[in-house]
Amino acid sequence: MLKYTEKIVETAKRLLAEEKVDVFIGYQKGTVPMMNEPLLVNHPDKADTLYWDNFCGLNLCNYLTKRTDKIGIIANGCNSRNMATHIIENQIKRDQLYIVGIPCEGMIDHRAVVRAVKNREILNIVQEGSTFVVKGKDFEETFEKQKFLQSNCAVCRHRNPVLYDEMLGDPLEEQTDVNPYGDIEKIEEMDSEKKQGFFQRLISRCIRCYACRNSCPLCYCPTCFVDESEPQWVGKSIDPTDTLTFHFLRAYHCAGRCTDCGACERVCPMGISMRQFTKKLNKDTEELFSWEAGLDPEKRPPLDVYRPDDYNDFIK
Amino acid sequence: MTEKIFTKEEWSGALETLKEPYRLFGPVKDGDFHTFMPLDGDKKPDFDYENSRLSPKTIIYPESERMFEYSLDETDDDAHILKESPKDYSPCAIVGIRPCDVHAFQIVKRNFDNPEYQDPWWTEHFESAILVGLGCNNPCASCFCTQVGGGPFHETGLDVLLFDLGDNFLAKALTEKGEAFLEKIQGESADDAVLKAAEDLKQSSEKKITAKVPTDQLKDKVTIELFDAPFWEEVAFACLNCGTCTYLCPTCWCFDIQDEVSGKQGDRIRNWDSCMFPLFSLHGSGHNPRAEKFQRVRQRFMHKLKYYVDKYENGVQCSGCGRCVRYCPVNIDIREVCKLMNDFA
Amino acid sequence: MENWEPKIATFLCNWCSYGAADLAGVSRFQYPPNFRIIRLPCSARVSPKFVLSAFRHGADGVWISGCHPGDCHYLEGNYYARRKFALLKGLLEHIGLEAGRLHFSWISSAEATKFVDVANRVAKEVEAMGPARFFIKSRAEVA
Repeated sequence: MLKYTEKIVETAKRLLAEEKVDVFIGYQKGTVPMMNEPLLVNHPDKADTLYWDNFCGLNLCNYLTKRTDKIGIIANGCNSRNMATHIIENQIKRDQLYIVGIPCEGMIDHRAVVRAVKNREILNIVQEGSTFVVKGKDFEETFEKQKFLQSNCAVCRHRNPVLYDEMLGDPLEEQTDVNPYGDIEKIEEMDSEKKQGFFQRLISRCIRCYACRNSCPLCYCPTCFVDESEPQWVGKSIDPTDTLTFHFLRAYHCAGRCTDCGACERVCPMGISMRQFTKKLNKDTEELFSWEAGLDPEKRPPLDVYRPDDYNDFIK
Repeated sequence: MTEKIFTKEEWSGALETLKEPYRLFGPVKDGDFHTFMPLDGDKKPDFDYENSRLSPKTIIYPESERMFEYSLDETDDDAHILKESPKDYSPCAIVGIRPCDVHAFQIVKRNFDNPEYQDPWWTEHFESAILVGLGCNNPCASCFCTQVGGGPFHETGLDVLLFDLGDNFLAKALTEKGEAFLEKIQGESADDAVLKAAEDLKQSSEKKITAKVPTDQLKDKVTIELFDAPFWEEVAFACLNCGTCTYLCPTCWCFDIQDEVSGKQGDRIRNWDSCMFPLFSLHGSGHNPRAEKFQRVRQRFMHKLKYYVDKYENGVQCSGCGRCVRYCPVNIDIREVCKLMNDFA
Repeated sequence: MENWEPKIATFLCNWCSYGAADLAGVSRFQYPPNFRIIRLPCSARVSPKFVLSAFRHGADGVWISGCHPGDCHYLEGNYYARRKFALLKGLLEHIGLEAGRLHFSWISSAEATKFVDVANRVAKEVEAMGPARFFIKSRAEVA
């Protein structure tokens, strides 16, 4: 993935110099290991800091909402699907975007790396081909990328951008033998009481910082339901029922729109796996409405259309 | 003041007996990270840790705290009358707290407990606490306590300071409260060799903090010029406006007050709030003086590194714990922003 | 809970199911008294927030009823609603809501007998679940 850095810099410079775009959105290398910072470049001379590696796990589509300029932007599979969703939802126009596609091998789960080195402080990580070397004060260990992918990347079925103006590499073969919903199926097998316990424990650490909501390109409402006061749908404290209500409604608002990019989980300071909510909806939309979000900017999303013979078994 | 040395086993044993006179809080391994929790039941503290994910400010200043309660039952004589919610202000001891987080309490104290204003809940909680600090032998690369008036073995604000000397802890009482705490622990008095080892440990640890975060020019800057500095949009670009930095920060003190009614029972609760949220500054009229993301990001840094500096003349509102540096989802690094502000001409 | 009777928040569309309830009433049909009826213009007006709100306030069950597919007063409101409800029910039951608490039906304004029949079934199923314990917001659990 590192090899893309040079290509990105080159492309951004060209697009900016030729005035094909007003700004270019990508990543720069972070100041701490395993963190990269989204970056907006508005001049070819500033493009040299653009960077790409397996820790670019945020969703750049987040930075597009309601922009009015012409934007060059990097997109891997999931990010491009969110761009398609943004186009469908009129948050950006297709002709405002110059999408620079990157076939994505998946992002590395930073928490798994910390666990693998037993919580010792990581000072530097060097990526080399299919491996990466983790360096600390008195240790150095090499790991295989494939074994440390974020759980959403490990089961990703759309690694190549679905929408692009230019590709920086040859498309990767898509994974077809993966089951993206294995963890959801396990929960579905539980009885109600176990499910309640599972989800109550899952969110027990939540501090209501809303990093999950804000890292999500789908969340762009001018006023979020958590901030509504007449009526107030959900309390503001860390009461467990209020926290559950927040996570439930946040997930439900992503129904038929979530691309499982994993940004919500990646950014959570408390390590909460809130994709256990959204993935159930992804599974249901796929099973009931044969829909995966963001594959085609021309297609209306599942809650915006209907079929007379839709699933009706649950209705008396 | 007393200095005592005891083995780590003796310390663990002592903690068991200290549960009687104190409500004990300590760092407990909680999944992938550590959290300060009450050491009741079978909860064992783990002192072999860098720092807790959430700062121990949660003990003195919980994320959600009931302030008052009231009845809406008209048949009650005291319907509609706010009554202060009962709290446990019995002595508590926070063991293993890092000096940066204690320094943070000193910073927050200037806001919550000063001649003009005393926050009763914060003050009572704080005064009930004995702070038994544990010096940092191995500060993180993202720590910069020495740059903001603290240090890995900084003593100000602590009642007891522990030095981790391998098999033993050296405990140094720093206040009367600390003396009383140490009296309850068996141990030997420390000889000169031990004190020398502790001093060496302190010095080597301080040297490990290599970050340079200059703050010396901040007080001389013209506020409005910093406010209008050209770098804010750039600094703020990546920001998600989540509350991670403010909620993990040991020195962020802002809160919002909400009334909640359940049946005929009413509660007035205060919850942490964050200047990163648009609602934080939204007026009743609908106007929002900080409607834009960059304005909110600017507010956070200006408050910590300029307004606080000018108002209290006691350094910056940052203890250098490095939590926001490590856990900001988009890597907005206060060290870099501080440099930008300090060097701004 | 000897004298316990379930409380069921009931959202009925104005044009069909509410009419059916009305007709059941004027026809002097008997049905259980457990329903707290809220009249809405269309089943599509039901936001998931309403359903959560009902459970948060301690409803033991929620029943939503609208016009038969194809009969919507607004032509297609109930078609959209059906998709929304399918996902809502799926997610609520995924996080632990018992399967017998959330009910949906299509009842036209002429079907007073169906209204009574469904009301009986819903009341029975919710009653079998016992008092709700999940997803209820009572006094905030805070420090």
